[in-house]
Amino acid sequence: MTMASASEPPQASSSTQHSLYEGSTQYLHWRFSPEQLGRMRHTLNEDAVSAIRNAFESDSLGSSTSVSFLSADEEHLLVKLYVGKISQLCGHFRFPEEVEATAASYMKRFYLKNTVMDWHPKNVMLTALFLATKTTNHPISLESYAAHIPRTVPSDVLDLEFLVAQSLGFDFAVWHPHRALWGIWLDVQNIPDASIEELSRAYEAAVGHVRAARLTDAEFIYTPSQIALACFSIASPTLASAWAHAKFPSSPRPPVLEVLDPIKTLILRDGSPPDVEAVREVDRRLRLCKNPEKIPGSNAYIKKQQEKERKADEKRRRKAEAVRIAMEDGDPFGNELAKKAAAADLDDDDDDD
Amino acid sequence: MVCSAFVRRASTAINIIPTGPRTRRSVKIATGRKVAIKKIKVGQFKDGLDMSAIREVKFLRELKHQNVIELLDVFSSKKNLNLVLEFLDTDLELVIKDRSLVFLPADIKSWMAMTFRGLEFCHRNFILHRDLKPNNLLIAANGQLKIADFGLARDFADPGYKMTCQVITRWYRPPELLFGCRYYSTAVDIWSVGCIFAELMLRTPYLPGETDMDQLKTIFRALGTPTEDDWPGHTKLPDYVPVGQFAKTPFRDLFTAASSDCLNLLGKCLIYDPRRRISAKDALNHPYFFALPYPTHPSKLPKPAKKEDAVPLEEVDGNVDQNGSGPGVKANQPNNKLKRKHSSDELGSRPVARRLDFTKS
Repeated sequence: MTMASASEPPQASSSTQHSLYEGSTQYLHWRFSPEQLGRMRHTLNEDAVSAIRNAFESDSLGSSTSVSFLSADEEHLLVKLYVGKISQLCGHFRFPEEVEATAASYMKRFYLKNTVMDWHPKNVMLTALFLATKTTNHPISLESYAAHIPRTVPSDVLDLEFLVAQSLGFDFAVWHPHRALWGIWLDVQNIPDASIEELSRAYEAAVGHVRAARLTDAEFIYTPSQIALACFSIASPTLASAWAHAKFPSSPRPPVLEVLDPIKTLILRDGSPPDVEAVREVDRRLRLCKNPEKIPGSNAYIKKQQEKERKADEKRRRKAEAVRIAMEDGDPFGNELAKKAAAADLDDDDDDD
Repeated sequence: MVCSAFVRRASTAINIIPTGPRTRRSVKIATGRKVAIKKIKVGQFKDGLDMSAIREVKFLRELKHQNVIELLDVFSSKKNLNLVLEFLDTDLELVIKDRSLVFLPADIKSWMAMTFRGLEFCHRNFILHRDLKPNNLLIAANGQLKIADFGLARDFADPGYKMTCQVITRWYRPPELLFGCRYYSTAVDIWSVGCIFAELMLRTPYLPGETDMDQLKTIFRALGTPTEDDWPGHTKLPDYVPVGQFAKTPFRDLFTAASSDCLNLLGKCLIYDPRRRISAKDALNHPYFFALPYPTHPSKLPKPAKKEDAVPLEEVDGNVDQNGSGPGVKANQPNNKLKRKHSSDELGSRPVARRLDFTKS
């Protein structure tokens, strides 16, 4: 996880020369090339499969041979299905677009760091959405949230909250294309000779394309304003071009128009919900290849918990010992303790919970 | 554990330095940089991560500016959320209250410039702070002022979306919020800065109301009851109540030693009509900041004498204190006797000994 902002160059002096967007965590931490995205997902999937295979094997030898694990593409398909479901849920709750878009981004970011074989996207979706209501300043109580979702209790949502927040690197702020599109909509109303019917038809269509773009990787590759203009351009290439020319009156061919084609292609290609039958098959196989260490009650889960507890005990014991020695030395904050603590990799955050 | 290499080093730190009651603890990391760790307990709230923690993390992750406190990292340990913040020695409230310190007009100008710079950056990023007051303006060892405590901050609402008016500590709360205004802007923070500006000159809070109602009275007594011309439409605000007619006390009567540029800027921060109140950006371009005396270099600003290090380790988690000065990073209240002694030394080294105390005038 790369979240050490300490290593980043100081932004203070550069803040006036760069756009605000370039100082955002979205720009700094969540921008990739299509190739990088592919590689990341592939590596993540490989590591997950080998870890889970080991978990199966240590449970009972040879048990993993019959299991058919999910591929990176299949994982992605499943995530996409649940990203689409966020919008259904938001319609049900009448959450604003900001909540929906933020939850979708959280979900997609989460699965750049985690595998569906560890954490099922249905649960992650519920948590991502709940977290998004809070980070976008539209909080609702957990009780009423869970009450409106069938077969869901508050703990289902809360159990994963910390994990999700961590996986996001605590980068809660997200910039969205629908905001940029709103700006374009306000701008185009100043274009002379464009009828308001034509404009609002184009805007409505573009809003639909922005929603479709949420199902794609566009937000990891392009800026929100590029995506917004691409969506507007799908709806009406003439108006999009008129807008760009009004924004850059001095250049005969505004550079922003050059980047739109690959975005449009991406949205039109990947912007529809996945085929339900295909996903059902993936989900069925997921039930068999879930990481046993994450399923309460399984042998592997119990083993993992015991191991955890043993380690915690060990740590506590070491710590108590260190403190005892220090007390005997008569100096609770002495160098002796500090050295021992450092040597024992002592985590001083655990003592006062 | 999602802790980066940076924090790993912090958690195995070799030197734990005791800090004040609300800054949890500070540690020296391997790089030698002192940091403060603010611990927020998770799991004690029925709705999960609480809003003030979320706001603080959300905004501080995005804001990197020399006059905004730096969030170096976030990590978790068990069920705690730990914010690694830059370590800051003191805050403006402690500086103001330290009677042994003498403020020159150039010092006040320097603090105001840094406050406006930090605030302009927040506003440029579409963030309202909503709790500016002297003890949320922290002071680094090198004298740089940093805006801290984003627990009440939020993004600008879209036009037509309501926001709560129950924000900003009363003495620094603008009249529109006291009248229950649910649609407001960056002007609310500017009012707070105006109050802080006045407090720096007076060395005592400028508008200390005892209740929300008394706050309005206090404001009107100082600045005069607004007329419809001063502030069109204010009588239509949701919680409007007439609180009596008061005449404005001329600034000059109270701030006897201040320059006219200075009072002009102060007046623009405390304009009743929020739409006409000065913006942070315009404030930075105000003649006050270009006139002599130039702002004091941050490293030369007066500050309380160093406290002794041998206080016991104290720690409180970040969630408890909503009403107090708010979670921020600050040092212990300095020991009075020690402070006097040290600061009189410091006084000697400062070139001018004229005392700018307006409280007796």
